[in-house]
Amino acid sequence: MTDIATTVRESNLLYPWIMTLHLAAIGLFGGLILMTDLRLLGVTMQSTPAPEVIARLRLWKRLGFIVMVTCGILLATSKMDTYYPNPYFQIKMLLLTLVGLHAIVFHGSVYGKSAPATGISAKLAGALSLLLWTGILSMGRWIAYYEPPK
Amino acid sequence: MILAYDPATNPLNTNEWAFPLCECFHIAAFAFSIGTIALIDLRLFGWGLDSRSPAQLLRDTEIWTLLGLAVVITSGLLIFSSDPVHYLGNGPFRFKMLGLLLAIVFNYTIHRKAVLGNLAPAGRMAIAAVSLALWFSLVFAGVFIAFV
Repeated sequence: MTDIATTVRESNLLYPWIMTLHLAAIGLFGGLILMTDLRLLGVTMQSTPAPEVIARLRLWKRLGFIVMVTCGILLATSKMDTYYPNPYFQIKMLLLTLVGLHAIVFHGSVYGKSAPATGISAKLAGALSLLLWTGILSMGRWIAYYEPPK
Repeated sequence: MILAYDPATNPLNTNEWAFPLCECFHIAAFAFSIGTIALIDLRLFGWGLDSRSPAQLLRDTEIWTLLGLAVVITSGLLIFSSDPVHYLGNGPFRFKMLGLLLAIVFNYTIHRKAVLGNLAPAGRMAIAAVSLALWFSLVFAGVFIAFV
């Protein structure tokens, strides 16, 4: 792992390429999450039942998530000493933990294989997911603008 | 008029959080536009939301695609205004602008026709692949603007 991190840090091209994959995964995965959330809120694809949207996009969201997180880990570990003390990085990790919690909490009522995904819990799950991911995206950007105290 | 423009007076350069905020809008909006287009491309490959026809899916998503494109271009113009001379001379930026033009024209002509018409599966897949490649190249160029 440290070898990989060193390679990424010392290469001029590897870092931006991994960043490209990270952002492309955000385009795909983030877009699918957005559409799922908006469907849960009932503002798009009303003619398709929410459980169907969730079921058919599950594989793709997982795939996107794996690419996104793998690239994220590669980017972060290559500059761990600057990322770790960065408060925006810390908030981002906290929000990602909350995303995990969100998935567990709403598994039975919204995201699981035979979950109904209707009513107030579906709306709440969609709204919270939108909030969490908007926060994660923003914190991700703000990481680059933090200047540690001298 | 243009020559008299001084980027140093642009709020994006004088306000600490204006620039990153623009970038956040830019990224969230491309997730909207590229994500919804990718949803249709997946469908053209026969994957994802395959219980609906590509045409139905397009009707459901096109407003979000358009909204995403409007915000992504607006925030992009704002980012551009922070340092026009730098961006105009930047290779990846020029590549990105050409790619953007191609991607948008492709999306609203050939791509749209493929989604609404009855093309053979091989043709649909080829068009989906071109679409994904075009949008991916924009993300690639966008990142590399900062690395050359």
